[in-house]
Amino acid sequence: MPLVHETAFAIQLDHENLRRARGPETAEMNAPSNGAGTDAGATSAATAATADRLLADRRRRRVGRLVIATVLVAAVVWSVDVTIVQDTDWKRMGSLANVLEAAGEFVGVDWGLFPDLAKPALETFMIACLGTLLGVLVCIPVAWFGALNITPFKPVTYPLARLMMTLSRSIHEIVWALFFVAVVGLGAMAGIFALAMRSIGFIAKMSAEAIEDIDPGPVEAIRAVGGNGFQVLIYAILPQVLPQILGVVVFEWEINIRRSAVLGLVGAGGLGLVFFRQMNTFNFPGVTTVLLAILGIILIGEVVSHFARKAAI
Amino acid sequence: MPILEVRELRARYTSAGPEILKGISFDVEADDFFAIIGPSGAGKSTLIRCINKLVEPSGGNVRFRGEEVTRLRGRELRGLRRNIGMIFQEFNLIDRLSVMDNVLSGRLGYTGNLRSLFRAFPRVDIERALQLLHRVGLEDHVDKRADALSGGQRQRVGIARALMQDPKMLLLDEPTSSLDPKISREIMGLIKSMAQEYGVPCLCNIHDVALAMEFCNRIIGLQDGVKMFDGPAELMDRTKLGEIYAMEVL
Amino acid sequence: MSTGMPSVPPGAVAHQLRWSRYRFPDSLYGYAAWIAVLGFLAFSVNYLDIPLARIPDMFHRMVSVIASRYYPPDIEYIMDRDYLDYVVETIQMAYLGALFGLGISIPLGWFGAFNMTPSRRFVYPVARLFTMGFRAVHEMIWAILFVSILGFGMLPGVLALTFFCAGFAGKLFAEEIEAIDMGPVEAMRATGANLFQVMVFGVFPQVRVAFTGIGIYTWDVAFRAATVVGFVGAGGMGWYLKRAVLQIETERVAAIILSIVVLVMISEVVSAYARARVMKMK
Repeated sequence: MPLVHETAFAIQLDHENLRRARGPETAEMNAPSNGAGTDAGATSAATAATADRLLADRRRRRVGRLVIATVLVAAVVWSVDVTIVQDTDWKRMGSLANVLEAAGEFVGVDWGLFPDLAKPALETFMIACLGTLLGVLVCIPVAWFGALNITPFKPVTYPLARLMMTLSRSIHEIVWALFFVAVVGLGAMAGIFALAMRSIGFIAKMSAEAIEDIDPGPVEAIRAVGGNGFQVLIYAILPQVLPQILGVVVFEWEINIRRSAVLGLVGAGGLGLVFFRQMNTFNFPGVTTVLLAILGIILIGEVVSHFARKAAI
Repeated sequence: MPILEVRELRARYTSAGPEILKGISFDVEADDFFAIIGPSGAGKSTLIRCINKLVEPSGGNVRFRGEEVTRLRGRELRGLRRNIGMIFQEFNLIDRLSVMDNVLSGRLGYTGNLRSLFRAFPRVDIERALQLLHRVGLEDHVDKRADALSGGQRQRVGIARALMQDPKMLLLDEPTSSLDPKISREIMGLIKSMAQEYGVPCLCNIHDVALAMEFCNRIIGLQDGVKMFDGPAELMDRTKLGEIYAMEVL
Repeated sequence: MSTGMPSVPPGAVAHQLRWSRYRFPDSLYGYAAWIAVLGFLAFSVNYLDIPLARIPDMFHRMVSVIASRYYPPDIEYIMDRDYLDYVVETIQMAYLGALFGLGISIPLGWFGAFNMTPSRRFVYPVARLFTMGFRAVHEMIWAILFVSILGFGMLPGVLALTFFCAGFAGKLFAEEIEAIDMGPVEAMRATGANLFQVMVFGVFPQVRVAFTGIGIYTWDVAFRAATVVGFVGAGGMGWYLKRAVLQIETERVAAIILSIVVLVMISEVVSAYARARVMKMK
């Protein structure tokens, strides 16, 4: 064995120790078995000390994690106790069999309902489309104001846009719909406004971030050929961010289809209204039918968005 | 008896696709440092991954220590894999874990799920890892994250991880292709000396013919999935190299 | 033009000299698609009877409605002890829903990630189907369904949020796992690690930061949803909102909405801070 160094000797000796420490079943180390070096004992002691330190470190970290885990579990137990154990009306729910029976009522499809679903389904779809469109239109100034690198007057416009984005996303679509029903009355219009308001936050935020991340080179180039602010926007900024923004819009549109299906709850039209009518008349197979219709238009949305995204890239 | 016997090995990635390996046979002896050379696309990587079944061969036999490999599945396959260490071209370290945890991950084949989950490796493993890290010269980097190391250091961690497995053979998949020439030589020297210390034969994919001739005792040359040369490194000469790399010259 | 250069076909010369932004079939498809979309939108406006002419007037009305009916918000009403209890309950509901949902979504994301799924033929499609199903149904609809099966209370709310969060996070987790570097995974497989160990060592360290970020985001979304699931009887602040709406106590409605906005904003600021901290650890 020509290439054995001093360190290798040290390792050999350690392997001898290990073999003893491990016992017969794991003593399959492939260390060579010739003579030992002079400083082997010292290295071995150092290794053992380092191993001790490492093990202690690991144990300490595990204890820390255990403490955090205990706190989290305690919070879970408390929450479960309050929200589930105490709050639930176990008597009304009855046994598991009763629950299954209640769930079983939803099995089945009310085929007779289908002809009545076409119009509300189309309405739901249209509300989602128009809501997204309106949202995108409102987004343009918000994204412009909210992108740090192009915002026109930073101390005022930037915080304004940020506030708008947060407000839009903080308020659930149901709450927005409630508000607009109160303002513009029952109907599709309230739904469109609600979806538009709810969409602004996400689209504007993503667009603003995309604009902040652009390559400044083209902006410089368009400035250099003598372009004005608007031309810079159209030729240097928009081409860079358009695919991304289009992707975000399509994504939001898909979500809006889901959302528009529940706006009927507060009187904003569409499939939601039919859903609640079925629920209130205890026509549970009808509920399933409406759910299937919702899934159907969502599926259409997914297919369309798949192709739209491909076209955008 | 050879430790690894490969007979008529064939492989393709899709059933309709082209055959990557077209019937390769060779033997690796217990003290071999065995090199597979050939132009890129010759099937070197596929060949080496067929040995531990990271790629499923489509035909032929692989016998490791007398045991047929191609039929193994599940637990038996994992038992085979833990007996074969592997070192990768791109190091394949887990970047966000420490050097220590990366080396310890070589013991996974011996470790239960619960211990794996909490990374609670037995003390003997930790000591073995420290010795290996000392041997590859990284004893001062034990607690660093793997992505904080340089390329050569990363490959040293890869070597330590492979030897941590207590392997009966090492597979080296272009271990130096991502490194500069000087460090390549150091790494190859380290692998060779450690392989000898631990008595582990090596099967090595290598692009660099000069390195192969310097460190390996046997060489096979692949071209387009066919074996073009098989023999001791000393018998390799310019004309044979010319044949093997004909495709590349064109 | 063609007489000057007899050796080149005349069409080729014309092609070189004339350039048009519009190429025959491709441009046609593009424009047709745009016209179809715009036509559909116009048709929708017509079909839904949107009174476009009245929209400018509406802004005026909006301001006056807010000023006359929703202002000033009845702050005392939401400072009530009972209401604060409901707030705490809402937080607990969101916490449990997000936690259970994340618990479900981790295996769901693993099985639904094409590169790491245990079986591409069976487990993968089933996991994808579940993720899609959880996602497709709006959280309010889940809440209504659970209320009708289990009765009023917070349990249906927790379950609705669980389903919603499982779908939400499951999809993001699967995408995150599909984007990992497969090198370490291969290395772990080569050491003889089993499926679970490959997950713990090869995959989890790579996605841990992203998962934490998604987890925080899920909490955010869950809390936002938790404030309104009570609207259909699934517990929390939504119930108060519904009662105030039904009683047409508009100033109380304004106060409740205000409290929701403030709480959601606090939660968002905190989670944005936490996410930024987590991302720094990368």
